Amino acid sequence: MRRLVVPLALALATIVWLLAVEGGQGIGRDEAQYFRAGERYWGWFESLWDNTVHGRPGASFRRAGIDTFWGDNPEHPPVMKTLYGISWRLFHRCHCTGPTRPLHPIPVRGRHLTIPLFARESTAFRFPAILMAGLGAALVYLFARRLVGPVAGAAASVLAVAQPHYFFHAQIACFDAPITTMALVVGLAYWKSLRSPRWGIACGVLYGIALGTKLNAWLMPFFLIAHYLWIRRHDLMKRRLPPVPLAFVAMATLGPLVFFASWPYLWPDPIARGRGYLRRHLEHEHYNFEYLGRNWNLPPRDWDLRLLRTTFPLVSTLFTVPATTLALAAAGTVVLIRRRRKSEDEGAEPALLPDEPTGEPATWLRPGADVDRAPGAFLLVQIAGPMLALAVPSAPIFGGVKHFLPAMPYLATVAGVGVRWLGSLARELAPRFRRALPAALATVVCLPAVAETQRSHPDGLSHYNVLAGGFAGGASLGMNRQFWGYSVLPMLPWMMAHAPASNRIYWHDVLGDALSMYVRDGRLRLGMGNVGAEEAAIAGSDLGIVILERHFTVYEGAFWQSYGTTRPAYVRTHEGVPLVTAYRRPGAR
Amino acid sequence: MSPGPILDRTALRRRRLAAGLASALVLLALYETAQAVIAPWRASSDADWTAAEAAVRAQFKPGDLVVAAPAWADPIMRLHLGDLVPVKVAGRLDAARYGRVWEISQRGGRSDDAVGGRVAWQEGHGALTVRRYERSPATVTYDFLEQWPRARVARAQPGRGEIPCERQIDRVQCPSISWNWVKPELLEIGTTLRNALYTQPVGGAAMIVEYPDVPLGRELVVGSGLHHVWLRKIGDGTVRLRVLVDGRQVGTSDASNRSGWRIDHFDTGALAGRRATVRFEITSAKPYSRHFGFAAEARS
Repeated sequence: MRRLVVPLALALATIVWLLAVEGGQGIGRDEAQYFRAGERYWGWFESLWDNTVHGRPGASFRRAGIDTFWGDNPEHPPVMKTLYGISWRLFHRCHCTGPTRPLHPIPVRGRHLTIPLFARESTAFRFPAILMAGLGAALVYLFARRLVGPVAGAAASVLAVAQPHYFFHAQIACFDAPITTMALVVGLAYWKSLRSPRWGIACGVLYGIALGTKLNAWLMPFFLIAHYLWIRRHDLMKRRLPPVPLAFVAMATLGPLVFFASWPYLWPDPIARGRGYLRRHLEHEHYNFEYLGRNWNLPPRDWDLRLLRTTFPLVSTLFTVPATTLALAAAGTVVLIRRRRKSEDEGAEPALLPDEPTGEPATWLRPGADVDRAPGAFLLVQIAGPMLALAVPSAPIFGGVKHFLPAMPYLATVAGVGVRWLGSLARELAPRFRRALPAALATVVCLPAVAETQRSHPDGLSHYNVLAGGFAGGASLGMNRQFWGYSVLPMLPWMMAHAPASNRIYWHDVLGDALSMYVRDGRLRLGMGNVGAEEAAIAGSDLGIVILERHFTVYEGAFWQSYGTTRPAYVRTHEGVPLVTAYRRPGAR
Repeated sequence: MSPGPILDRTALRRRRLAAGLASALVLLALYETAQAVIAPWRASSDADWTAAEAAVRAQFKPGDLVVAAPAWADPIMRLHLGDLVPVKVAGRLDAARYGRVWEISQRGGRSDDAVGGRVAWQEGHGALTVRRYERSPATVTYDFLEQWPRARVARAQPGRGEIPCERQIDRVQCPSISWNWVKPELLEIGTTLRNALYTQPVGGAAMIVEYPDVPLGRELVVGSGLHHVWLRKIGDGTVRLRVLVDGRQVGTSDASNRSGWRIDHFDTGALAGRRATVRFEITSAKPYSRHFGFAAEARS
């Protein structure tokens, strides 16, 4: 039990930090849809209860009974959305029978009996994502501790959470932080399964949950297979087939079963709907995204742009992860490369804690029992895999760093190796302080990450590190500043104070579902107008906003033409960098 | 018992490189932490902008240009000084015609619009620096956008010659094809906003915009490109603009999804001081979703 104190403390600290700040975090388009879908999915459980009480539970399992609720947002799997819905139902403070009642996507039949943990409904929705981030922090520690000991392990955990872009995503009811945790869960289950059959079975079940969390999970087996082939390379060199690990068998069998069981939407027509889900993502449209001063919205054809496109994950990582974390990871990489050589050195403290083979013969139940598990190779595939997938020039341009976030806890673990190296060196050089120095140094190298992360809030997507020059430096480099219209939250009071008498308001990229949640949260006045999102709607507005993304320039032009001025009425900034402009029609009352 | 030395000098000598790298790492951590704390305070504030605004307003003269550097600060500049940057100025072809340019700069930013000017005046306001650049402005002998009412528009089709188009209130409409018109409009080209003449090229035909009796200078400066981010995304053809003076081609310019707002300088030095007919011909072999815009000036 004592071994769990530190990971629990790290998880708790993560959760408390995230809960303390999430209220400042606006609601993006995707999150707004997941709120809506989560509440609808909860509605299915309500209907199941009702149908059961009325003696017809089968009605909830028929196509109509399923599609009414699970037909919402079928392009993404349901695990997290379901948890968001359940959390909302359990933990919100119910004002649901008041004036906001019509804003709920499912009928509110009466006041909800809840455990009113959270004042805002959006916090109740977000809580599972925040818990997942806490779990992720604990898991990084549990894994890293085995490699680098408790101090550096705890530092790795802190460095995994204290990354501005990850931290942004960890607060919101989306899938990017949860799938990052699931990448850890599956990765670590596989790691343990190399010497434990129980974990082999668990790996399959957990992989199914990962599949139900986000699409990224489909890539995980490739990374794990690459690692497995590496650790069993001697078999391959001897032209001997290595045993097929139980974990892979379980992932191939239990994984899809758990995935299918978790998603009622698939039940009425598994083949067609499963195919539709995959096709939707294989043929995903290309979003607009700013990178190095260009707006990207199609896979490039010219060789120079293809090359530039390929650099995206690496350059984005270099500019978004705190520089000290990157430097620690560089040090950790050297240590990992030299690991085996170092262990043969003249009795120096080992760079990593030992992970000797058990001496048992390798079988499909314990396929890593007789070999070194090669933690460096494991970390490499987990870091490089998600990044390389996003570096392919023909890959859809979805958006930012969030798509390779699953690499980040592993990157932080490598940084933890760097922390251990730093501590070991300090002990060697200053033996008088051998007890205190490693912890003190670990604290010092974690400080910038924590400070940068706190600084970035609530605009983590706009944040760039000291190498890029911070918020302003990122803007000057032409790096993406934001997406999905989340950044409007801090200017809602201004919008309400300057609402025109006509109530004709253009909200640009802020989805109607997000506006509804702002109202339900009590942060936007009920009845604030919304003329619609199309460019042409600007002409019918008297007040409106433009979210400042490069491809949205055209909307700014529509304001200039319609309002006859280039002068905004308000500009929302972070550290002097504009994020949203608001225009008010001259002369509008 | 006295404590030993703080540093083990033998170990330090043996691990010099590692100790140096570790020290650098710790220094980086301290520097990055300090940056995280200090940087927000060093960013430009409302007070800085208000002071900069007052400085510009005190000396601003009609015909001056106000710009922000880096360009991402442009919305804040317009928040304070937008009345001095009307749509006509904000959507300019380029900045060459402005002899006095006010640059509100931060973080060492320099605006391309001030290139070629000398700093005639400068003042710091917190994180901002206001500079007034002065230079010899380009002399515009003819602004094709302003002179739009004098333009003749036609569609030239093989075998049918030039089909004249009809001038309406806000555009010149060509016959038979509802979307075939030319009109001045504020366009988004290369994610910048430009005042330009807008038209869609027609497959197998040339759109013709012709100006008679144009007083020529030493060059024709033509800005052009493809309008609208969503429309660019769904097409991939190139649009060619031919520029002819009295029937003789002086230059061409190709607009593609990649070219953005492209500025070409076509030499008319041999014709400077003369009057001539200037003709713009717009064609595209793949006109699907090609929405073209151009602006031009004759300059001496």
